[in-house]
Amino acid sequence: MDRRAFIALSAVAVVGFALSPALQPAHASTPRLEEELQRRLGVRLAQIREVAEIKITAPTIAESGANVPITVESDIPVDRVEHLWIFVDKNPVPWVTDLKLTPMNGQVYLSTRIKMGETSNVRAIIKLKDGSYVMATKEVKVTAGGCG
Amino acid sequence: MAIGTGILRVPKEAKKGEVVRVQMVITHPMSPPRKDPATGQEVPPHTLTKLELFYNNRLVSTLNMGAGVSANPFIAISLKVEESGVVRIAYEDNKGGKWDRTAEIKVT
Repeated sequence: MDRRAFIALSAVAVVGFALSPALQPAHASTPRLEEELQRRLGVRLAQIREVAEIKITAPTIAESGANVPITVESDIPVDRVEHLWIFVDKNPVPWVTDLKLTPMNGQVYLSTRIKMGETSNVRAIIKLKDGSYVMATKEVKVTAGGCG
Repeated sequence: MAIGTGILRVPKEAKKGEVVRVQMVITHPMSPPRKDPATGQEVPPHTLTKLELFYNNRLVSTLNMGAGVSANPFIAISLKVEESGVVRIAYEDNKGGKWDRTAEIKVT
């Protein structure tokens, strides 16, 4: 291979590498999550609107995946909210917990500690009374997994 | 501590209409289904499945959970109090265990 061909080839390789994540559909990496959403909520991830009114408080880097503190709060009035779920995209079972809310809660709030097998997105999904779904996503990096 | 032992914590006093935090810690292994590394046998899961929060015997919230929740779960849920009363949590696991705990809030 002469020098010119080599440069051309390596340029193609670099461009290909840079594009490859972009070429994948956004949800291809989370088939388990899609399956779980379909089963438990009956919707696809693309149908859920990402909103700023939901706040997830979780460490950016978790020391241990066995015990990751997660707090979900929202400014959405509780009488407009029906149900709250917490999902972890890459867990063997992405569904972690769900909470049925009533106006007696006074506020949308849930705090607990969850297990995470590896670095993944944590999602808080809320079903509103009008039947629509909204969510917030936060990535938590895990150095030592907690599913064992 | 034995499986199912729970600690329920609420503020002793609250103002009318205040939103308080109901916090609890329950002793439970929350183990997922897995293969025993020594024998290769399937070990069934053992987790809490459901927790209900009552205030003055009215159902406030139902929490469903699985093995994704850490061992000895800590859970905090909000509750709006309008009058003095009793907070009760009732929880159960997939092996038929059922427990409950109560705590009182005085509303001034």
